[in-house]
Amino acid sequence: MKIKFTKEENTFRREVRSWLESHVPKKPLLSLDTKEGFEQHREWERTLNQGNWAMVTWPKEYGGRGLDLIQWLIFEEEYYRAEAPTRVNQNGVFLLGPTLMEFGTHEQKSKFLNAMATGDHIWAQGWSEPGAGSDMAAIRTTAVLEGDHYKINGQKTWSSRATYADWTFGLFRTDLESERHRGLSFILVPLDLPGITVRPIPQLDGEPGFAEIYFDDVEVPVENLLGGDGDGWKIAMATAGFERGLMLRSPARFQQTAAKLMELYLAKQDHCSPMIQAKIVEAWAQSESYALSIYHTASKMLAGGSIGSESSLGKIFWSELDHMMHQTALKILGASAELSQESQDDAAKWIKGFMFSYAGPIYAGTNEIQKNIIAERLLGLPK
Amino acid sequence: MNFIFTEEQMQFKDAIKSFLIDECSPKSIREGWDTKKSFNPDRWKGLFELGVLNSNLPEDKGGLGMDQVTLALMVEEMGYAGLPEPVAEQTFLVNDLISLLPKDIGKAIEETYDAGAKYISLAHPLAPNPLFIADSAGLILFDDSQCKFIAKEDLNFEIIASNDPSREIYKINSTNNVISSAENFEELNSAVSARGALMTAALLIGLAQKMIDLSSAYVLDRTQFGKPIGSFQAVKHMLADVAVKIEFAKPAVYRAAYSLSENNPKSALHCAHAKLMCAQAAELACKNSIQAHGAMGYTWEMDLHIYMRKAWSMMACWGNEDRQQDIIFKTLSSTSEELGVLYTF
Ligand SMILES: Cc1cc2nc3c(=O)[nH]c(=O)nc-3n(C[C@H](O)[C@H](O)[C@H](O)COP(=O)(O)OP(=O)(O)OC[C@H]3O[C@@H](n4cnc5c(N)ncnc54)[C@H](O)[C@@H]3O)c2cc1C
Repeated sequence: MKIKFTKEENTFRREVRSWLESHVPKKPLLSLDTKEGFEQHREWERTLNQGNWAMVTWPKEYGGRGLDLIQWLIFEEEYYRAEAPTRVNQNGVFLLGPTLMEFGTHEQKSKFLNAMATGDHIWAQGWSEPGAGSDMAAIRTTAVLEGDHYKINGQKTWSSRATYADWTFGLFRTDLESERHRGLSFILVPLDLPGITVRPIPQLDGEPGFAEIYFDDVEVPVENLLGGDGDGWKIAMATAGFERGLMLRSPARFQQTAAKLMELYLAKQDHCSPMIQAKIVEAWAQSESYALSIYHTASKMLAGGSIGSESSLGKIFWSELDHMMHQTALKILGASAELSQESQDDAAKWIKGFMFSYAGPIYAGTNEIQKNIIAERLLGLPK
Repeated sequence: MNFIFTEEQMQFKDAIKSFLIDECSPKSIREGWDTKKSFNPDRWKGLFELGVLNSNLPEDKGGLGMDQVTLALMVEEMGYAGLPEPVAEQTFLVNDLISLLPKDIGKAIEETYDAGAKYISLAHPLAPNPLFIADSAGLILFDDSQCKFIAKEDLNFEIIASNDPSREIYKINSTNNVISSAENFEELNSAVSARGALMTAALLIGLAQKMIDLSSAYVLDRTQFGKPIGSFQAVKHMLADVAVKIEFAKPAVYRAAYSLSENNPKSALHCAHAKLMCAQAAELACKNSIQAHGAMGYTWEMDLHIYMRKAWSMMACWGNEDRQQDIIFKTLSSTSEELGVLYTF
């Protein structure tokens, strides 16, 4: 056991820091849920890739650096410290990337991973349907094999980034006779194909952060099937497993929020109740615990361990923490907590974060579903 | 960065775990309650023979020189088993302080300290009622400005009742022939406070784990409406909430122990963090475990309360949740530039 960074890790950290210092845009980009902002964020993905920073854990041949998870966590820490732009391609690099690495053919890997790294393909996820939310096995959108292509009909919804994204990946029913988890396949679909209609859905902040995707006789080449026909559920579970548990939300994000919250408190403490102190302490203590736990998990992975349902514990923890921190910020802000225009104390930013923190317990599998998983798979309780 | 345990560390943990499964059953704990003799000399001897009691003494004093991380792993198991004997106190507090204690006290202790045969008790404003004085060789007594050592024959004490019948605690009435020292008191006092917080944290996380294990087994077994109550979602979610708390408290314990072993200047902060997280986990474990048991959980007969009682005491001693929050707040607000992303390790 050595809970300390090595010399090489510190050298790596400095390298990341100095690159970010000279490349992170000085002026914040426009919101990535606007057309112009989306393209600015794509441009930033290109810049990252030119520095070989698209995804440090990937092999070099795919635009990565072949580094380990600890170094990825260090990269993330520096990334948040530098207040670098949100990764518009996080669905690609953090979720589809590792899934392709495990299940993709050689051709698929070279085609998709490189385009993902360069920002040419920005990805959306297509799991949810109007009748299949928490109950993902109720998916009804069909993909029927006809010669060298699948013909897709149906509808996906709540697809983040789909408004401007280039591709989507998701589950489709390829065996029309099948039920529930069987007969589903994992297919990669370009969003500019004939027959696809994307309808943006304005979110709580008014911006079209997610969208419905309609499929009307859409023809997708059979090469876009990931894994075997009918293997979709298994592959989707892998996407949702460890990599997602760890990569969807790296600890730096929450530690950064906790630090900002402390700053806000120190600036405003004369105007707020001493009761807030306990919340500030919780913010630090929990984000610290989250970081410790993720480093512990990453170390176990590096030693050959594997993580399954444990990622459900983390999902609940960070989403509740994020909400608590934003709620506390609004309490500190007092009456300015209703300002949605720019103001001295960044109230608008906190409010935006506050609203988004309500989504955390819903997306990536609601916290109630995560609790079912914990009870049944970790504590051994009956279905 | 390599935040995993060594094989050796896991071996120590497993060794004490299996010893305690055999020697520290709920039944044997209850025998101690019934006979008003919770200090079981045979078990104590067994732990000595296992090498636990002097594990963290320096090698030149007959110990194994064990580090605090391994010790914390073992203390977690002591919590899990609800071990009545003050092994955690002896190792984590007394043994670990020997090198820091003023020379005259250290010498006095060594003279009475026939390791394994005797126990040295400790009292501090944060845990003022020392344990098992009757079985001890003497007492290390902290007050607000001094640290003293008093041999047992020079102590006037009386037994007082603890809500945890496994904890035989005492009130000290008067002391004679005190060897005292105020030299390096500040250092000593912060060292013992941090260790007290971490020791109770490690015990609490073991206790919380035990409570959730007992509850999971109970809800599988008990049926209502024709099925195990563990299949009801309300019950599942109560226990899942506890599992989340435990998961994120554990690494805080290991990190704090590591900080102590490295003499990290932030170890007091890290110990406070560990105690805060573990106290919260244990608190929810008590609440939700008793709820999952229904009225059975509210009985003397059900074993659950053996562990709940110990947890309540461990939450109260060596600084409760609020005190740890104060410590953390003071540290953070005085060094705010050192908070956040880059300062975890
Ligand atoms: C900001 C945001 C971004 C999203 N991005 C995407 C995306 O990119 N791609 C995508 O495919 N989806 C996305 N989603 C959708 C998300 O995955 C679903 O919202 C989620 O799975 C829940 O499904 P639902 O909304 O249909 O809610 P429902 O399933 O209708 O659930 C409603 C409530 O009932 C509870 N509930 C349902 N079933 C159970 C049960 N068995 N036990 C206990 N409680 C239950 C839920 O926990 C919840 O509280 C996104 C959602 C949000 C909010």
